[in-house]
Amino acid sequence: MGYLFDASNWEWLTSGNNLRFLLEGFAVNLQIAALAMVLSLIGGLALALLRLSRLRAVSVPAGIWVDVWRNLPLIFIMLYLFLGLPESWSEAYEDVVPGFFPEALKSGRVLAALLALVLYNSAVLAEIMRAGIQSLERGQREAALALGMTYRQSMRLVILPQGLRRMVPATVSQLITLNKDTTLVSIIAIEELVRRGRILTSFNFFGGVQAPVLQVFIFIGLLFIIVNLLLSRLSRRLEIRERRRTGTTPRRVRGLEDQIAAEGEAA
Amino acid sequence: MNELWEVLERHLPEFSSGFSVTVRLVAISFVIAMVVGTLVAALRVAPIKWVQRVGGVYVETFRNIPLLVLLFISFAGLRRAGIPVNAWVAGTASLGLYTAAYVAEALRSGVFAVSKGQIEASLSLGLTYRQTLAKIVLPQAFRTVIPHLGSLVIAMIKNSAIIGVSLLAIPDLLKEARIVDSRTFETHEAFFWAAVGYLLLTGMATFGFRYLERRFAIRR
Repeated sequence: MGYLFDASNWEWLTSGNNLRFLLEGFAVNLQIAALAMVLSLIGGLALALLRLSRLRAVSVPAGIWVDVWRNLPLIFIMLYLFLGLPESWSEAYEDVVPGFFPEALKSGRVLAALLALVLYNSAVLAEIMRAGIQSLERGQREAALALGMTYRQSMRLVILPQGLRRMVPATVSQLITLNKDTTLVSIIAIEELVRRGRILTSFNFFGGVQAPVLQVFIFIGLLFIIVNLLLSRLSRRLEIRERRRTGTTPRRVRGLEDQIAAEGEAA
Repeated sequence: MNELWEVLERHLPEFSSGFSVTVRLVAISFVIAMVVGTLVAALRVAPIKWVQRVGGVYVETFRNIPLLVLLFISFAGLRRAGIPVNAWVAGTASLGLYTAAYVAEALRSGVFAVSKGQIEASLSLGLTYRQTLAKIVLPQAFRTVIPHLGSLVIAMIKNSAIIGVSLLAIPDLLKEARIVDSRTFETHEAFFWAAVGYLLLTGMATFGFRYLERRFAIRR
Protein backbone atom coordinates (compact mmCIF):
# COMPACT_ATOMS: atom_id res chain seq x y z
CA MET A 1 0.00 0.00 0.00
CA GLY A 2 2.84 2.33 0.83
CA TYR A 3 4.18 1.83 -2.65
CA LEU A 4 0.85 2.59 -4.31
CA PHE A 5 0.38 5.89 -2.48
CA ASP A 6 4.00 6.97 -2.57
CA ALA A 7 3.81 10.46 -4.07
CA SER A 8 7.14 10.23 -5.87
CA ASN A 9 5.86 7.31 -7.92
CA TRP A 10 2.92 9.38 -9.11
CA GLU A 11 5.08 12.43 -9.70
CA TRP A 12 7.15 10.29 -12.02
CA LEU A 13 4.18 10.18 -14.38
CA THR A 14 4.26 13.91 -14.93
CA SER A 15 8.02 14.34 -14.92
CA GLY A 16 9.80 15.13 -18.17
CA ASN A 17 7.83 14.23 -21.26
CA ASN A 18 6.23 11.13 -19.76
CA LEU A 19 2.68 12.42 -19.65
CA ARG A 20 2.82 13.82 -23.16
CA PHE A 21 4.35 10.59 -24.45
CA LEU A 22 1.44 8.61 -23.02
CA LEU A 23 -1.32 10.98 -24.12
CA GLU A 24 0.00 11.01 -27.68
CA GLY A 25 -0.21 7.24 -27.58
CA PHE A 26 -3.82 7.48 -26.43
CA ALA A 27 -4.59 9.66 -29.45
CA VAL A 28 -3.45 6.76 -31.67
CA ASN A 29 -5.93 4.45 -29.88
CA LEU A 30 -8.75 6.89 -30.44
CA GLN A 31 -7.86 7.35 -34.11
CA ILE A 32 -7.75 3.62 -34.74
CA ALA A 33 -11.01 3.19 -32.82
CA ALA A 34 -12.78 5.92 -34.79
CA LEU A 35 -11.69 4.54 -38.14
CA ALA A 36 -12.54 0.95 -37.18
CA MET A 37 -15.93 2.03 -35.84
CA VAL A 38 -16.97 3.68 -39.10
CA LEU A 39 -15.79 0.78 -41.25
CA SER A 40 -17.35 -1.84 -38.94
CA LEU A 41 -20.72 -0.11 -38.92
CA ILE A 42 -20.78 0.00 -42.73
CA GLY A 43 -19.56 -3.61 -43.00
CA GLY A 44 -21.97 -4.75 -40.30
CA LEU A 45 -24.98 -3.31 -42.07
CA ALA A 46 -23.92 -4.86 -45.37
CA LEU A 47 -23.43 -8.27 -43.75
CA ALA A 48 -26.76 -8.04 -41.92
CA LEU A 49 -28.57 -7.32 -45.20
CA LEU A 50 -26.76 -10.17 -46.96
CA ARG A 51 -27.64 -12.51 -44.15
CA LEU A 52 -31.31 -11.55 -44.37
CA SER A 53 -31.38 -12.03 -48.13
CA ARG A 54 -34.11 -14.27 -49.47
CA LEU A 55 -31.58 -16.01 -51.73
CA ARG A 56 -30.16 -18.93 -49.80
CA ALA A 57 -27.03 -18.85 -51.92
CA VAL A 58 -26.36 -15.43 -50.38
CA SER A 59 -27.74 -15.76 -46.85
CA VAL A 60 -26.08 -19.06 -45.95
CA PRO A 61 -22.49 -18.05 -46.81
CA ALA A 62 -23.06 -14.67 -45.14
CA GLY A 63 -24.28 -16.48 -42.02
CA ILE A 64 -21.23 -18.74 -41.91
CA TRP A 65 -18.92 -15.77 -42.45
CA VAL A 66 -20.51 -13.86 -39.56
CA ASP A 67 -20.53 -16.84 -37.19
CA VAL A 68 -16.88 -17.70 -37.85
CA TRP A 69 -15.48 -14.22 -37.35
CA ARG A 70 -17.50 -13.34 -34.29
CA ASN A 71 -16.63 -16.60 -32.53
CA LEU A 72 -12.87 -16.26 -32.88
CA PRO A 73 -10.80 -14.23 -30.41
CA LEU A 74 -10.02 -10.80 -31.84
CA ILE A 75 -6.39 -11.05 -30.79
CA PHE A 76 -6.17 -14.36 -32.64
CA ILE A 77 -7.42 -12.75 -35.87
CA MET A 78 -5.06 -9.84 -35.43
CA LEU A 79 -1.98 -11.99 -34.85
CA TYR A 80 -2.89 -14.24 -37.75
CA LEU A 81 -3.22 -11.32 -40.15
CA PHE A 82 -0.03 -9.78 -38.77
CA LEU A 83 1.93 -12.99 -39.37
CA GLY A 84 0.03 -14.34 -42.35
CA LEU A 85 -0.79 -11.40 -44.61
CA PRO A 86 1.56 -11.21 -47.58
CA GLU A 87 4.15 -8.47 -47.40
CA SER A 88 2.77 -6.99 -50.60
CA TRP A 89 -0.54 -6.18 -48.90
CA SER A 90 0.97 -3.97 -46.25
CA GLU A 91 3.16 -2.30 -48.88
CA ALA A 92 0.07 -1.69 -50.97
CA TYR A 93 -1.61 -0.20 -47.89
CA GLU A 94 1.29 2.18 -47.35
CA ASP A 95 0.95 3.25 -50.97
CA VAL A 96 -2.78 3.90 -50.99
CA VAL A 97 -3.22 5.34 -47.49
CA PRO A 98 -4.65 8.87 -47.88
CA GLY A 99 -2.36 11.76 -47.03
CA PHE A 100 -4.71 13.31 -44.46
CA PHE A 101 -4.45 10.23 -42.22
CA PRO A 102 -2.61 10.71 -38.94
CA GLU A 103 1.05 9.70 -39.14
CA ALA A 104 0.62 6.77 -36.77
CA LEU A 105 -1.90 5.08 -39.06
CA LYS A 106 0.32 5.12 -42.12
CA SER A 107 2.51 2.16 -41.23
CA GLY A 108 1.82 -1.14 -42.98
CA ARG A 109 1.29 -2.90 -39.65
CA VAL A 110 -1.86 -0.89 -39.09
CA LEU A 111 -3.47 -2.79 -41.97
CA ALA A 112 -3.49 -6.05 -39.98
CA ALA A 113 -4.84 -4.25 -36.92
CA LEU A 114 -7.59 -2.44 -38.82
CA LEU A 115 -8.58 -5.48 -40.84
CA ALA A 116 -8.85 -7.59 -37.69
CA LEU A 117 -10.87 -4.99 -35.81
CA VAL A 118 -13.22 -4.57 -38.77
CA LEU A 119 -13.59 -8.30 -39.57
CA TYR A 120 -14.45 -9.08 -35.96
CA ASN A 121 -16.62 -6.10 -35.14
CA SER A 122 -18.53 -6.03 -38.41
CA ALA A 123 -19.54 -9.63 -37.75
CA VAL A 124 -20.70 -8.81 -34.22
CA LEU A 125 -22.51 -5.67 -35.37
CA ALA A 126 -24.15 -7.59 -38.23
CA GLU A 127 -25.66 -9.94 -35.67
CA ILE A 128 -26.89 -6.97 -33.62
CA MET A 129 -28.45 -5.27 -36.63
CA ARG A 130 -30.03 -8.48 -37.87
CA ALA A 131 -31.65 -8.99 -34.47
CA GLY A 132 -32.99 -5.44 -34.63
CA ILE A 133 -34.40 -5.87 -38.11
CA GLN A 134 -35.96 -9.22 -37.29
CA SER A 135 -37.53 -7.89 -34.10
CA LEU A 136 -39.88 -5.73 -36.18
CA GLU A 137 -43.39 -7.02 -36.56
CA ARG A 138 -44.00 -8.72 -39.88
CA GLY A 139 -46.91 -6.40 -40.55
CA GLN A 140 -44.50 -3.51 -41.06
CA ARG A 141 -42.90 -5.07 -44.09
CA GLU A 142 -46.18 -6.42 -45.39
CA ALA A 143 -47.76 -2.99 -45.11
CA ALA A 144 -44.82 -1.40 -46.91
CA LEU A 145 -45.02 -3.94 -49.71
CA ALA A 146 -48.81 -3.61 -49.89
CA LEU A 147 -48.37 0.14 -50.36
CA GLY A 148 -46.45 -0.68 -53.49
CA MET A 149 -42.92 -0.09 -52.18
CA THR A 150 -40.13 -2.15 -53.67
CA TYR A 151 -37.95 -4.34 -51.42
CA ARG A 152 -35.31 -1.65 -51.45
CA GLN A 153 -37.72 1.12 -50.57
CA SER A 154 -39.34 -0.85 -47.76
CA MET A 155 -35.90 -1.52 -46.26
CA ARG A 156 -34.68 2.04 -46.55
CA LEU A 157 -37.84 3.86 -45.50
CA VAL A 158 -39.60 1.48 -43.13
CA ILE A 159 -37.57 -1.43 -41.79
CA LEU A 160 -34.07 -0.03 -41.24
CA PRO A 161 -35.00 3.25 -39.50
CA GLN A 162 -37.07 1.37 -36.93
CA GLY A 163 -35.01 -1.78 -36.62
CA LEU A 164 -31.66 -0.03 -36.26
CA ARG A 165 -33.00 2.50 -33.77
CA ARG A 166 -33.87 -0.34 -31.42
CA MET A 167 -30.30 -1.53 -31.56
CA VAL A 168 -28.60 1.73 -30.63
CA PRO A 169 -27.82 0.68 -27.03
CA ALA A 170 -26.42 -2.70 -28.09
CA THR A 171 -24.40 -1.06 -30.85
CA VAL A 172 -22.94 1.54 -28.53
CA SER A 173 -21.84 -1.04 -25.98
CA GLN A 174 -20.13 -2.99 -28.75
CA LEU A 175 -18.37 0.20 -29.86
CA ILE A 176 -17.16 0.68 -26.29
CA THR A 177 -15.80 -2.86 -26.39
CA LEU A 178 -14.10 -1.95 -29.66
CA ASN A 179 -12.56 1.06 -27.99
CA LYS A 180 -11.09 -1.15 -25.26
CA ASP A 181 -9.92 -3.64 -27.87
CA THR A 182 -7.70 -1.06 -29.58
CA THR A 183 -5.19 -1.80 -26.80
CA LEU A 184 -4.65 -5.20 -28.45
CA VAL A 185 -2.85 -3.58 -31.37
CA SER A 186 0.06 -3.04 -28.98
CA ILE A 187 0.74 -6.77 -29.36
CA ILE A 188 1.64 -6.28 -33.01
CA ALA A 189 4.02 -3.46 -32.16
CA ILE A 190 1.90 -0.44 -33.00
CA GLU A 191 2.91 2.38 -30.71
CA GLU A 192 -0.32 3.21 -28.92
CA LEU A 193 -0.99 3.86 -25.26
CA VAL A 194 -0.29 0.42 -23.79
CA ARG A 195 2.81 -0.05 -25.92
CA ARG A 196 4.08 3.33 -24.83
CA GLY A 197 3.32 2.46 -21.23
CA ARG A 198 5.51 -0.60 -21.61
CA ILE A 199 8.28 1.33 -23.35
CA LEU A 200 8.20 3.96 -20.65
CA THR A 201 8.36 1.49 -17.78
CA SER A 202 11.11 -0.58 -19.31
CA PHE A 203 13.55 2.24 -18.57
CA ASN A 204 14.72 3.12 -15.09
CA PHE A 205 14.87 6.42 -13.27
CA PHE A 206 18.16 8.19 -13.12
CA GLY A 207 20.06 6.56 -10.32
CA GLY A 208 18.67 3.10 -10.94
CA VAL A 209 15.25 3.60 -9.35
CA GLN A 210 12.71 1.37 -11.09
CA ALA A 211 9.84 2.85 -13.06
CA PRO A 212 6.44 2.63 -11.34
CA VAL A 213 4.68 0.10 -13.60
CA LEU A 214 1.62 -0.10 -11.37
CA GLN A 215 0.98 3.64 -11.39
CA VAL A 216 1.51 3.97 -15.15
CA PHE A 217 -1.00 1.24 -15.95
CA ILE A 218 -3.54 2.45 -13.41
CA PHE A 219 -3.31 5.82 -15.14
CA ILE A 220 -3.78 4.17 -18.54
CA GLY A 221 -6.80 2.27 -17.22
CA LEU A 222 -8.30 5.50 -15.88
CA LEU A 223 -8.00 7.15 -19.29
CA PHE A 224 -10.04 4.34 -20.85
CA ILE A 225 -12.59 4.36 -18.04
CA ILE A 226 -13.15 8.10 -18.44
CA VAL A 227 -13.53 8.00 -22.22
CA ASN A 228 -15.82 4.96 -22.15
CA LEU A 229 -17.99 6.43 -19.41
CA LEU A 230 -18.35 9.61 -21.46
CA LEU A 231 -19.29 7.56 -24.51
CA SER A 232 -21.99 5.61 -22.68
CA ARG A 233 -23.28 8.72 -20.94
CA LEU A 234 -23.58 10.51 -24.28
CA SER A 235 -25.34 7.62 -25.96
CA ARG A 236 -27.76 7.21 -23.07
CA ARG A 237 -28.73 10.85 -23.31
CA LEU A 238 -29.29 10.62 -27.07
CA GLU A 239 -31.22 7.43 -26.57
CA ILE A 240 -33.59 8.82 -23.96
CA ARG A 241 -34.32 11.78 -26.19
CA GLU A 242 -34.91 9.54 -29.18
CA ARG A 243 -37.12 7.23 -27.20
CA ARG A 244 -39.26 10.08 -26.05
CA ARG A 245 -39.60 11.22 -29.65
CA THR A 246 -40.19 7.89 -31.36
CA GLY A 247 -41.26 5.47 -28.63
CA THR A 248 -38.79 2.71 -29.53
CA THR A 249 -37.82 0.00 -27.09
CA PRO A 250 -34.33 -1.52 -27.20
CA ARG A 251 -33.91 -5.24 -27.88
CA ARG A 252 -31.41 -7.78 -26.63
CA VAL A 253 -29.01 -9.76 -28.78
CA ARG A 254 -27.63 -13.19 -28.12
CA GLY A 255 -23.89 -13.61 -27.79
CA LEU A 256 -22.92 -10.06 -26.96
CA GLU A 257 -20.47 -9.55 -24.13
CA ASP A 258 -22.05 -6.35 -22.96
CA GLN A 259 -25.68 -6.86 -23.79
CA ILE A 260 -26.76 -6.31 -20.22
CA ALA A 261 -25.40 -2.80 -20.32
CA ALA A 262 -27.44 -2.24 -23.42
CA GLU A 263 -30.73 -3.24 -21.93
CA GLY A 264 -30.10 -2.59 -18.26
CA GLU A 265 -30.89 1.11 -18.42
CA ALA A 266 -34.03 0.47 -20.41
CA ALA A 267 -35.58 -1.64 -17.66
CA MET B 1 -5.14 -30.25 -47.90
CA ASN B 2 -2.64 -32.97 -47.02
CA GLU B 3 -0.37 -30.33 -45.64
CA LEU B 4 -3.06 -29.37 -43.12
CA TRP B 5 -3.48 -32.87 -41.71
CA GLU B 6 0.26 -33.36 -41.59
CA VAL B 7 0.72 -30.27 -39.44
CA LEU B 8 -2.04 -31.45 -37.10
CA GLU B 9 -0.50 -34.87 -36.83
CA ARG B 10 2.98 -33.57 -36.15
CA HIS B 11 1.92 -30.96 -33.62
CA LEU B 12 -1.03 -32.62 -31.95
CA PRO B 13 0.65 -32.57 -28.51
CA GLU B 14 1.16 -28.78 -28.70
CA PHE B 15 -2.38 -28.10 -29.86
CA SER B 16 -4.03 -30.37 -27.32
CA SER B 17 -2.00 -29.00 -24.42
CA GLY B 18 -2.83 -25.45 -25.54
CA PHE B 19 -6.48 -26.40 -25.80
CA SER B 20 -6.56 -27.79 -22.28
CA VAL B 21 -4.73 -24.74 -20.89
CA THR B 22 -7.38 -22.50 -22.49
CA VAL B 23 -10.15 -24.65 -21.03
CA ARG B 24 -8.59 -24.49 -17.58
CA LEU B 25 -8.09 -20.72 -17.79
CA VAL B 26 -11.75 -20.24 -18.69
CA ALA B 27 -12.98 -22.68 -16.04
CA ILE B 28 -11.06 -21.08 -13.16
CA SER B 29 -11.91 -17.56 -14.30
CA PHE B 30 -15.56 -18.53 -14.61
CA VAL B 31 -15.68 -19.67 -10.99
CA ILE B 32 -14.07 -16.40 -9.86
CA ALA B 33 -16.44 -14.39 -12.05
CA MET B 34 -19.51 -16.15 -10.67
CA VAL B 35 -18.49 -15.79 -7.02
CA VAL B 36 -17.40 -12.16 -7.26
CA GLY B 37 -20.21 -11.30 -9.66
CA THR B 38 -22.84 -12.66 -7.28
CA LEU B 39 -21.35 -10.65 -4.41
CA VAL B 40 -21.29 -7.46 -6.48
CA ALA B 41 -24.86 -8.06 -7.66
CA ALA B 42 -25.91 -8.46 -4.03
CA LEU B 43 -24.25 -5.12 -3.26
CA ARG B 44 -26.07 -3.51 -6.16
CA VAL B 45 -29.51 -4.58 -5.00
CA ALA B 46 -28.86 -3.99 -1.29
CA PRO B 47 -31.34 -1.72 0.45
CA ILE B 48 -28.59 0.73 1.53
CA LYS B 49 -27.62 3.54 -0.86
CA TRP B 50 -23.87 3.66 -0.25
CA VAL B 51 -23.54 -0.11 -0.56
CA GLN B 52 -25.27 0.07 -3.92
CA ARG B 53 -22.84 2.74 -4.95
CA VAL B 54 -19.82 0.57 -4.09
CA GLY B 55 -21.22 -2.15 -6.36
CA GLY B 56 -21.83 0.44 -9.07
CA VAL B 57 -18.25 1.69 -8.93
CA TYR B 58 -16.97 -1.87 -9.22
CA VAL B 59 -19.08 -2.53 -12.31
CA GLU B 60 -18.23 0.75 -14.05
CA THR B 61 -14.52 0.31 -13.34
CA PHE B 62 -14.12 -3.25 -14.53
CA ARG B 63 -16.44 -2.91 -17.47
CA ASN B 64 -14.66 0.08 -18.93
CA ILE B 65 -11.03 -0.89 -18.41
CA PRO B 66 -9.36 -2.92 -21.17
CA LEU B 67 -8.54 -6.47 -20.06
CA LEU B 68 -5.00 -6.08 -21.36
CA VAL B 69 -4.43 -3.10 -19.05
CA LEU B 70 -5.87 -5.08 -16.14
CA LEU B 71 -3.40 -7.87 -16.88
CA PHE B 72 -0.47 -5.46 -16.85
CA ILE B 73 -1.65 -3.97 -13.55
CA SER B 74 -2.11 -7.33 -11.90
CA PHE B 75 1.09 -8.93 -13.11
CA ALA B 76 3.90 -6.52 -13.97
CA GLY B 77 2.43 -3.78 -11.79
CA LEU B 78 2.05 -5.81 -8.63
CA ARG B 79 5.41 -7.49 -9.12
CA ARG B 80 7.14 -4.14 -9.37
CA ALA B 81 5.29 -3.13 -6.21
CA GLY B 82 6.94 -6.09 -4.47
CA ILE B 83 4.04 -8.55 -4.51
CA PRO B 84 5.21 -11.79 -6.15
CA VAL B 85 2.05 -12.81 -8.03
CA ASN B 86 2.07 -15.97 -10.07
CA ALA B 87 1.12 -15.76 -13.76
CA TRP B 88 -1.86 -18.07 -13.39
CA VAL B 89 -3.18 -16.15 -10.41
CA ALA B 90 -2.82 -12.82 -12.19
CA GLY B 91 -4.32 -14.14 -15.44
CA THR B 92 -7.36 -15.90 -14.02
CA ALA B 93 -7.99 -13.18 -11.42
CA SER B 94 -7.92 -10.50 -14.13
CA LEU B 95 -10.25 -12.35 -16.47
CA GLY B 96 -12.47 -13.38 -13.54
CA LEU B 97 -12.74 -9.91 -11.99
CA TYR B 98 -13.28 -8.35 -15.42
CA THR B 99 -16.12 -10.74 -16.27
CA ALA B 100 -17.55 -10.45 -12.74
CA ALA B 101 -18.71 -6.94 -13.60
CA TYR B 102 -20.78 -8.32 -16.48
CA VAL B 103 -22.03 -11.23 -14.36
CA ALA B 104 -23.15 -8.76 -11.71
CA GLU B 105 -25.08 -6.76 -14.30
CA ALA B 106 -26.66 -9.92 -15.68
CA LEU B 107 -27.74 -11.06 -12.23
CA ARG B 108 -29.06 -7.63 -11.36
CA SER B 109 -31.23 -7.59 -14.46
CA GLY B 110 -32.36 -11.09 -13.48
CA VAL B 111 -33.23 -9.90 -9.98
CA PHE B 112 -35.37 -7.15 -11.45
CA ALA B 113 -37.14 -9.74 -13.57
CA VAL B 114 -38.43 -11.36 -10.36
CA SER B 115 -41.72 -9.64 -9.63
CA LYS B 116 -41.87 -7.27 -6.71
CA GLY B 117 -44.92 -9.03 -5.29
CA GLN B 118 -42.89 -12.16 -4.61
CA ILE B 119 -40.33 -10.21 -2.61
CA GLU B 120 -43.05 -8.46 -0.64
CA ALA B 121 -44.82 -11.77 -0.04
CA SER B 122 -41.64 -13.40 1.18
CA LEU B 123 -40.80 -10.49 3.50
CA SER B 124 -44.31 -10.41 4.90
CA LEU B 125 -44.09 -14.15 5.58
CA GLY B 126 -41.32 -13.28 7.99
CA LEU B 127 -38.27 -14.23 5.91
CA THR B 128 -35.32 -11.91 6.46
CA TYR B 129 -33.81 -9.86 3.64
CA ARG B 130 -30.99 -12.39 3.34
CA GLN B 131 -33.34 -15.37 3.24
CA THR B 132 -35.52 -13.70 0.63
CA LEU B 133 -32.50 -13.07 -1.55
CA ALA B 134 -31.08 -16.58 -1.14
CA LYS B 135 -34.27 -18.61 -1.34
CA ILE B 136 -36.67 -16.64 -3.49
CA VAL B 137 -34.88 -14.13 -5.67
CA LEU B 138 -31.50 -15.60 -6.61
CA PRO B 139 -32.69 -19.07 -7.72
CA GLN B 140 -35.13 -17.46 -10.12
CA ALA B 141 -32.66 -14.79 -11.18
CA PHE B 142 -30.07 -17.43 -12.07
CA ARG B 143 -32.59 -19.12 -14.31
CA THR B 144 -33.45 -16.04 -16.29
CA VAL B 145 -29.80 -15.09 -16.76
CA ILE B 146 -28.71 -18.39 -18.31
CA PRO B 147 -28.58 -16.92 -21.84
CA HIS B 148 -26.58 -13.94 -20.55
CA LEU B 149 -24.14 -16.28 -18.82
CA GLY B 150 -23.78 -18.18 -22.08
CA SER B 151 -22.74 -15.00 -23.86
CA LEU B 152 -20.28 -14.26 -21.08
CA VAL B 153 -18.67 -17.71 -21.25
CA ILE B 154 -18.19 -17.27 -24.99
CA ALA B 155 -16.67 -13.86 -24.35
CA MET B 156 -14.38 -15.42 -21.73
CA ILE B 157 -13.18 -18.08 -24.15
CA LYS B 158 -12.25 -15.33 -26.60
CA ASN B 159 -10.79 -13.04 -23.95
CA SER B 160 -8.65 -15.84 -22.53
CA ALA B 161 -6.46 -15.53 -25.62
CA ILE B 162 -5.40 -12.10 -24.37
CA ILE B 163 -3.85 -13.71 -21.28
CA GLY B 164 -1.59 -15.85 -23.42
CA VAL B 165 -0.29 -13.02 -25.59
CA SER B 166 0.33 -10.47 -22.87
CA LEU B 167 3.50 -10.83 -20.86
CA LEU B 168 2.14 -13.69 -18.78
CA ALA B 169 3.93 -16.88 -19.72
CA ILE B 170 0.87 -19.11 -20.06
CA PRO B 171 0.93 -21.53 -23.02
CA ASP B 172 -2.71 -21.38 -24.11
CA LEU B 173 -4.05 -22.38 -27.52
CA LEU B 174 -3.06 -19.16 -29.28
CA LYS B 175 0.40 -19.24 -27.72
CA GLU B 176 0.93 -22.83 -28.87
CA ALA B 177 -0.13 -21.88 -32.39
CA ARG B 178 2.50 -19.16 -32.36
CA ILE B 179 5.11 -21.57 -31.08
CA VAL B 180 4.33 -24.01 -33.89
CA ASP B 181 4.41 -21.10 -36.36
CA SER B 182 7.74 -19.80 -35.14
CA ARG B 183 9.30 -23.27 -35.36
CA THR B 184 7.94 -24.34 -38.73
CA PHE B 185 6.77 -21.15 -40.49
CA GLU B 186 3.55 -22.98 -41.29
CA THR B 187 1.53 -19.96 -40.24
CA HIS B 188 -1.70 -20.75 -42.08
CA GLU B 189 -1.83 -24.36 -40.94
CA ALA B 190 -0.98 -23.57 -37.31
CA PHE B 191 -3.59 -20.82 -37.07
CA PHE B 192 -6.15 -22.91 -38.92
CA TRP B 193 -6.05 -25.61 -36.26
CA ALA B 194 -6.07 -23.11 -33.44
CA ALA B 195 -9.14 -21.52 -35.04
CA VAL B 196 -10.80 -24.92 -35.16
CA GLY B 197 -10.05 -25.30 -31.45
CA TYR B 198 -11.55 -21.93 -30.56
CA LEU B 199 -14.63 -22.50 -32.74
CA LEU B 200 -15.12 -25.90 -31.10
CA LEU B 201 -15.06 -24.28 -27.67
CA THR B 202 -17.35 -21.37 -28.52
CA GLY B 203 -19.66 -23.73 -30.43
CA MET B 204 -19.92 -26.12 -27.50
CA ALA B 205 -20.62 -23.24 -25.14
CA THR B 206 -23.34 -21.93 -27.47
CA PHE B 207 -25.14 -25.25 -27.72
CA GLY B 208 -24.59 -26.15 -24.08
CA PHE B 209 -26.18 -22.95 -22.83
CA ARG B 210 -29.03 -23.23 -25.33
CA TYR B 211 -29.75 -26.65 -23.89
CA LEU B 212 -29.63 -25.34 -20.31
CA GLU B 213 -31.89 -22.48 -21.27
CA ARG B 214 -34.53 -24.85 -22.64
CA ARG B 215 -34.10 -27.23 -19.73
CA PHE B 216 -34.64 -24.60 -17.02
CA ALA B 217 -37.02 -22.33 -18.86
CA ILE B 218 -39.81 -21.01 -16.68
CA ARG B 219 -43.13 -20.43 -18.27
CA ARG B 220 -44.76 -17.30 -17.02
